[in-house]
Amino acid sequence: MSEAQVKVHVDKVNKSYGENHVLRDISLDIAENEVVVMIGPSGSGKSTFLRMLNQLETPDNGTIIVDGYDISDKNTDINKVRENIGMVFQNFNLFNNYTVLENIMLAPVELKKLDKVAAEKKARELLETVGLSDKADMPVSSLSGGQKQRIAIARALAMTPDIMLFDEPTSALDPEMVGDVLDVMKNLAESGMTMIIVTHEMGFAKQVADRVVFFESGKIQESGTPDQVFDAPKNERLQEFLSKVTHA
Amino acid sequence: MKKIWMFCVAFLATVTMMMGITKVDAAQPNYIITTDATYPPFDFQDKNNQYTGIDQEILKTIAKREGFTYTLKPMSFNAATQSVTSGQADAVIAGMSITDERKQVFDFGTPYYKSGIAWAVKKGSTIKSLKDLKGKTVAIKTGTAGADYALSIQKKYGFKVTYFSDSDTLYNDVINGNSQATFGDLPVLQYTIKNGTKLKVMNPTNPYEAGWYGFAVKKGDNAQLLAAFNKGFAAIKKDGTYQKIVNKYLGAPASEFTGSKSDNSSVFGILKSNENAFMKGLWQTILLTLFGIIFASLWGVLLGIMGVSQNSVIRGVSTTIIYIFRGMPLMVLAFFIYIGLPGVIGTKIPAFTAGVITLILNEGAYTGAFVRGGFEAVDKGQMEAARSLGFTYGKSMYKVIMPQGLKIMVPSFINQFIITLKDTSILSAIGILELTQTGTLIVSRNSQGFRVWAIIAVIYLVVITLLTWFSNWVEKRTRS
Ligand SMILES: Nc1ncnc2c1ncn2[C@@H]1O[C@H](COP(=O)(O)OP(=O)(O)O)[C@@H](O)[C@H]1O
Ligand SMILES: [Mg+2]
Repeated sequence: MSEAQVKVHVDKVNKSYGENHVLRDISLDIAENEVVVMIGPSGSGKSTFLRMLNQLETPDNGTIIVDGYDISDKNTDINKVRENIGMVFQNFNLFNNYTVLENIMLAPVELKKLDKVAAEKKARELLETVGLSDKADMPVSSLSGGQKQRIAIARALAMTPDIMLFDEPTSALDPEMVGDVLDVMKNLAESGMTMIIVTHEMGFAKQVADRVVFFESGKIQESGTPDQVFDAPKNERLQEFLSKVTHA
Repeated sequence: MKKIWMFCVAFLATVTMMMGITKVDAAQPNYIITTDATYPPFDFQDKNNQYTGIDQEILKTIAKREGFTYTLKPMSFNAATQSVTSGQADAVIAGMSITDERKQVFDFGTPYYKSGIAWAVKKGSTIKSLKDLKGKTVAIKTGTAGADYALSIQKKYGFKVTYFSDSDTLYNDVINGNSQATFGDLPVLQYTIKNGTKLKVMNPTNPYEAGWYGFAVKKGDNAQLLAAFNKGFAAIKKDGTYQKIVNKYLGAPASEFTGSKSDNSSVFGILKSNENAFMKGLWQTILLTLFGIIFASLWGVLLGIMGVSQNSVIRGVSTTIIYIFRGMPLMVLAFFIYIGLPGVIGTKIPAFTAGVITLILNEGAYTGAFVRGGFEAVDKGQMEAARSLGFTYGKSMYKVIMPQGLKIMVPSFINQFIITLKDTSILSAIGILELTQTGTLIVSRNSQGFRVWAIIAVIYLVVITLLTWFSNWVEKRTRS
């Protein structure tokens, strides 16, 4: 992996909440266009790790370089860096005080100073790609969970990010909604987006991941291609974890 | 939303101009003199809602002869005296007894009226002396000098006492024979009797614990005014004007000052004969409420925003301000600003201004607390989503959190507006002639407590209803 290709560089990062040592000496490099899926039991530190990549959480020590910016450096303008990192949350977090279209347009208009006409055109295109053109002028409260999550993805994409972070994007959805969201994500992966995804959807992981990373007790216990991780797991805890999720 | 703001600005501009016009020409010597207008026959409002009484007529006559002008500021007795000691006013005339204690802080003019405690019985009663009270019941009014005196001689004469908080009920109790006597201020009893109460004063010429009433200025201040008062008083005493004034109030029939019976014995009559006073009082209440609501909301929103700041110092400032002003009783705050502060900063603060500042600080603190709470009640995910897109904290607040928070707060705002309206009544204590103070003055003249307070209560309810409708209308507009 050459330097230029590295989109995310994490080196010896630690994070504690009081006595709770949540991340222990984590190091990980992610290349451009790479799709990394993170799996692991609940409480193992996946969300904390993901949220550290856009500074929603700050590490206690270690280095994090994203998109060429050292975000563990206090002098970095984190807001500028965040404009290039899209994030999708488990609970969607659409802005309740705006319509669907306004949700998508808000950041480009306010932060990129895009004029409203151009922003709206782009927003409508994005609505098209997530298959929700007819919802443009709806208040977000009228949408189903699956629709909300697709709008949330569109909102993040409107800033034309280089990297997309997903924290259990389908965990809050009814089963019949999951497919639509995963389809949008698959298309995004195929278009070459660099993606880091926390999920429990093992089938999806097998299909789209370039690399699967197993988190346990704040450590990366194992990582490799989907074939290596799912079909020939070496780590004992990973084996245990896989047997639980596949037989559930 | 814009229209509402424009209305507010226009409204404030108009009122400010109106207040400017009423200012007195600075070149003329003009004194501010306080009184307590709930003390007939010395200080009260007549049927035309003009301030009158023995004190007021003496003052008016002397001012005219000695060539000075004054602005009369009626307020509660305590506020009236403290306004002078704090320099907010130049002098006080309020049926105020000259005591050694008061001489420490006031310079008194020539004593102008001898007063003291008298006792009275029902007209035609067989009781002739205090000794006849043995085993009988004496009616006294809570907290008065008359009550203190009665209690001090209770053992000696062996009577029972029964307490009242309202003079009319007390007099009726004696007249109906439930109790046999009462103790009170001599001139007040005399005035009541002249106004038709069927009692008889037993010691009209030798009141107990006799003392003198005096006109007072702050010790060491306003020597010129005091000299003018004394000179004028000597003159009216000499030429008989003084005695005429006293006789006028202690010898006149009831209707002379309080209005005809029909004007006082029905709700409609009271409304009609005091229409102007009610309207003026209502207008003051509305002005106070509007100023209070507008500025307390602005101040409260600012406190609320400070309360969710990322900077812990700013948060601390907000918390402290809210803590202090939410914890302080409104009346204490009003007295502090109106009476306490001018002594320290050296400038007078008009009562209305002091009242509005009081409302802003007190209601603003409550507003600040629920505004902060409203912002905090917005789901944390909203802030995270905004930040993840690259919005700064401030911009996230402004674009995402505040609009949602304010919506949550709408019912709290409406509630606070109603509380503000009700709280304006407390400002009557610093002499703002709003609705409650208007009621106090009318009742002290005509003793129609039930009817007058019922009228005042209904007016408040009507205004509160209108305010609620207006608030709900605004709420609907902001929703769409
Ligand atoms: N803000 C926080 N304060 C205290 N503890 C936290 C906080 N966020 C997460 N934790 C703790 O950190 C650990 C890892 O949490 P998380 O990263 O959410 O795990 P995962 O996403 O893998 O389920 C858990 O023990 C959790 O309780
Ligand atoms: Mg998680």
